[in-house]
Amino acid sequence: MSWLPLSFGAPMVLWGLLALPVIWWLLRLTPPKPQTEVFPPLRILARVLKREETPQQSPWWLTLLRLLMAALIVAALAEPVFNPREKLSTEGEALALVIDNDWASADDWERRVATASRLIADAERNSVPVLLAFTAEKPNQQIGPFSAAEARDRLNAVKPRPVPADRREIYARVGEALRDLPPATVAVLTDGLAADGDEAAFSAMMTKPPANFIWGTPQRLDTIGLTAADNGFDRLTISAVRASSNATGPASMSAGAFDDKGRRIGDAAIAFRPGQTIATGDFVVPFELRNDFASIALDGVASAGAVRVLDESAKRRRIGLLSETPVDEARLLLSPLYYIRRAMEPFADIVEPTSPAISEAIPQLLQQKPAVIVMADVGTVPEPARTALVEWMENGGTLLRFAGSHLLSAGDDSELLPVILRRSERSLGGALSWTEPQPVGEFPANGPFSSLPAPTDVTVTRQLLAEPTPDLIDHTWATLADGTPLVTGDRRGKGMVVLFHVPPEATWSNLPISGSFVEMLRRIVQLSRNQGAVAAAPQSQTASLAPYRMIDASGAIVPPGPDARPLMAGQAAVTVDNPPGLYGSEEGVVAHNLLAAEQALTPIVRPQLTIPVADLHYSLDEARDLKGPLVAAAILLMVLDTLAVFWIGGLFSRWRRRPRMAGTTAALLVMAAISFGHVDTARANDAKPGDAEAIDAINQTRIAYVITGEPGVDSISRAGLEGLRRFLIEKTALEPGEPAGVDISRDELSFYPLIYWPIDPAAPEPDTAAMARVEAYMQQGGTVLFDTRDQFSTGFGSDSASPATQRLRSLLSTLSVPPLEPVPSDHVLTKSFFILNEFPGRFNGSPLWIEASLDASNTDNRPVRTGDGVSPIMITANDMAGAWAIDANGEPLLPTVPSDPMQRVYAMRAGVNIVIYMLTGNYKSDQVHVPALLERLGQ
Amino acid sequence: MAHIGEAQAPVGTRDALARGRLRASLVPDLLVEARRIVNTVMAGWHGRRKRGIGENFWQFRPYVEGEAIANIDWRRSARDDHTYVRDREWEAAHTVWLWADPSPSMLYKSTGATVSKQSRALVIVLAMAELLSRSGERIAWPGVTDPFSARNGAERIASHLAHATALPAKPDLSAIRRFSDIVIASDFLDPVGETMQWLDVLARHGVRAHLVEIADPAEESFPYSGRTEFTDPETGEKLTAGRAEMLGDEYRNLYSARRAELAAWCKQLGWSYTVNHTDRLASEALVRLHLALTAEGPSGRRTAA
Repeated sequence: MSWLPLSFGAPMVLWGLLALPVIWWLLRLTPPKPQTEVFPPLRILARVLKREETPQQSPWWLTLLRLLMAALIVAALAEPVFNPREKLSTEGEALALVIDNDWASADDWERRVATASRLIADAERNSVPVLLAFTAEKPNQQIGPFSAAEARDRLNAVKPRPVPADRREIYARVGEALRDLPPATVAVLTDGLAADGDEAAFSAMMTKPPANFIWGTPQRLDTIGLTAADNGFDRLTISAVRASSNATGPASMSAGAFDDKGRRIGDAAIAFRPGQTIATGDFVVPFELRNDFASIALDGVASAGAVRVLDESAKRRRIGLLSETPVDEARLLLSPLYYIRRAMEPFADIVEPTSPAISEAIPQLLQQKPAVIVMADVGTVPEPARTALVEWMENGGTLLRFAGSHLLSAGDDSELLPVILRRSERSLGGALSWTEPQPVGEFPANGPFSSLPAPTDVTVTRQLLAEPTPDLIDHTWATLADGTPLVTGDRRGKGMVVLFHVPPEATWSNLPISGSFVEMLRRIVQLSRNQGAVAAAPQSQTASLAPYRMIDASGAIVPPGPDARPLMAGQAAVTVDNPPGLYGSEEGVVAHNLLAAEQALTPIVRPQLTIPVADLHYSLDEARDLKGPLVAAAILLMVLDTLAVFWIGGLFSRWRRRPRMAGTTAALLVMAAISFGHVDTARANDAKPGDAEAIDAINQTRIAYVITGEPGVDSISRAGLEGLRRFLIEKTALEPGEPAGVDISRDELSFYPLIYWPIDPAAPEPDTAAMARVEAYMQQGGTVLFDTRDQFSTGFGSDSASPATQRLRSLLSTLSVPPLEPVPSDHVLTKSFFILNEFPGRFNGSPLWIEASLDASNTDNRPVRTGDGVSPIMITANDMAGAWAIDANGEPLLPTVPSDPMQRVYAMRAGVNIVIYMLTGNYKSDQVHVPALLERLGQ
Repeated sequence: MAHIGEAQAPVGTRDALARGRLRASLVPDLLVEARRIVNTVMAGWHGRRKRGIGENFWQFRPYVEGEAIANIDWRRSARDDHTYVRDREWEAAHTVWLWADPSPSMLYKSTGATVSKQSRALVIVLAMAELLSRSGERIAWPGVTDPFSARNGAERIASHLAHATALPAKPDLSAIRRFSDIVIASDFLDPVGETMQWLDVLARHGVRAHLVEIADPAEESFPYSGRTEFTDPETGEKLTAGRAEMLGDEYRNLYSARRAELAAWCKQLGWSYTVNHTDRLASEALVRLHLALTAEGPSGRRTAA
């Protein structure tokens, strides 16, 4: 079975397959037992049956099905395993497991762990001790010997680290430990990358020859890393390296640049040519965006090597200012450094020498290791200082010079000037000139200012001229409109020198007082580098940098872990203590990257050994026990066989003939389905308790009254609302339902447009929760009609209050009640159905208080004031329900005071108006517009 | 698997009698048309709805020359100028032979049927006996009793049947005389030729036969399917069908052809042929039998003319 990744735990059982022909023979012989039936008209049937052949054997497919079933069971008993794992010879008395958990192993760490687990499982089976060491852990880690269970725990606890493997130390420790053990099996699970001193490390480990040796390498060394990121004028160039064993074919990758928040702000493509291990890619993005780059990562590679952090943009540059002209406080605006200082202060640290003399000032500045030195109109630089300056520039310093009279007078200096200057200046405009002052032309595309817009408001009247040379155009960063160079620059070693052909003051041109000047200076400063590490700065920085942002093994930028130590100044190696990442703080950081610029990824070489060596590739444990699926398949076939036997026996067609039985079966099936799908049924039924009441309450418009708990009051409320209901049905198109009594502490109030609340001092006072419900109801558009029913029981005097009124006050004190007013004569409530002047109940005289419509206006003498909304509260003392109340015969229950039949009629009308007002709102007040609308329609 | 049909124990005649009475009570008193037995003078208890020999008044009709003077009803004739004769309603008895097939095949009852065929046949025949004896007819069972007339005719037949030791599968019908009727309830599953040969003697004697075929629904619809072994309850013969449902159509054709042939033969002879399924009510057959007994057949009309 070499062509199939299949092995059997008990292959002898497979001989049972030989029984299949016997089973076949038996199956062929036994037809299924027929159904016996008494049948009187047999003689008629006999005439039919003569022509049909009775099958004496099972159909061939049934036999096949059963044979397959038997074969499956035999195969299942043989315990087949799909994709069996390879057997490794582990005859050693101990197992030494040395695993690379460095950055290159992060990609497929799971496979390494699975492979190592299998080795540990083998060791457990042989009950031998396990030495377990990781090359990217600290050299003083515990390496055992462990029991298998301990080793497994340690293996699962270890994660890959974003540091290179330190094989020398670890292998030496393992070698020492092996010396005390019997001959062991040494398993080395490498990351596949060679490192310096590998051979020495191996020989240190193999001082005592092991029993056998297992050599694990990745099947395919597709490690890839970023080795450099160089910020140029107009692009950021990154270099990537891949393993040489993987360098045969072309490969293309993409890389992304991320800002400090992890947002992707740039893309670059990297293409490896066949046979090449190094490729480069460019981020061609504007300067401002490049400045925000905090890290660069290769897409789709989860490894610390594929990530680089950048520190340049986060640094503030130190800028040294130098001028021969002493600062004259009186003529500050003419000081050559004034505009430069003002322009650069926001984004750079300005350093100025204490000594006015150039020869002393330059060494002073160089001690500060500035990124840029600005020399405003400095002529000749004296010798010792000049050499130091040139050396500083070669090492990456940026020298920014401005023209001026001193420079003109100084001799030509090719090292400190980007171009050769003419010994003359050019004057444009002015009394003795025909020419006009020149504006600045478009910035050339190859310079750092290429993305800046050309300033339109800048004119140049005087400038220094460059000697026209063939390469002048390459060094020109800015020109005048006629093509004369205005700013020239050139590289000097790692640094550069820039010359503005005008002075940094507004005498020769108005460039220094324009906004473009600031932008140009900013570009130049951003191109510059600080010289030397920040740590090298004399007083301002401490000697070590705290970890700030780390790259973890999967290439993510994370906060520093507990193992990260501060980075000592000048320390370059990435170790467990100093994982790659940014060191420093928010003020400034230093990037500590994993791969050096010239790093090559070469595959590791297997040491030449005399002992047996087994090669191993990392893989997940994919062994799959096939016993279960096979048994399941056999059971499935058995079910099929049963169904087929039923079918042959005619069960299904019999069911078909007899629909009642089919119906029973269908019902059983449906019941089974329902019992299985019980959850769905439960979900479909969303009925809730109280639904019936809610549907009742909203099927019809119903007016509610508050159940006070006093039987007399409640029955009058009910009878009153019933009377009002009949009156409404009689007089209006509204046919309300039965009056509803509500318990404000429990019932849902929002179903009712109007709630009548008779205030009874004897009734228990509702609690605050109930009052909160009432308040919510009022705010959601409902209206409560409070009736104190005490018009004639109130005493005289302004501060006298009946118990009911006092109760009402205490109730309303818990509500947010809007300002109230008695119903104005032009309020819509007086006209919503009947025209009313007063709102009497059983008593007359109390005004009906409603929400004050203060902002409502009544212009043009309209009959109704306009205003929106419906008053959420009405208060009366007239005992309206008492006037409305009727008995079962429709006769009034209570007499009015005074006993006036018309007063009852008016009380009814008041109730109608209130209900209609509740239901229609300001509709009636809008009615006043009808004549105007009709007029507009031309009718 | 449940069997579709099974052979039931023979039904007790007492039981069948009770059920037959119940059936008979649902049918109006049977008036056997007996116009062909003018010479039979045996008086019955019920009028024949036509003039004849009897006791009850039937009609007055004008006197015709040649009639006996004694027939004139003088009281009626005195009322006007004509002479009337008083006719009496004809009251006469008739002999009806009854027979239900006692063969083992009649014991069959399928799950769709309510009773076995034997039970149904006995119920119909005993109900008939009850009806006929209530009408005063003479009833008889070939091989068991000779014709007799009694109020409790059905009971007597039932007790005779209960005490009969061995009933012949096919009784001798040659003793039955002309102008008699015979009701035969059977499943008629024998080949048509045999049945015709057996009944031919009746046709030759001029007996009017009423054949009631008792059919089980399973026999007619053949609901069997799958591998099935069929057993004949009479001979014990076995037949195995591999896919019984494949035989259904052809079997049903043969089955109905048999019935159609038999019915056509009966129609030709002026006999009646009634089919009763055991999943239907016995009353249906009874009503049809009733109609057939009272209806005027083609031969009857000829005789009357």
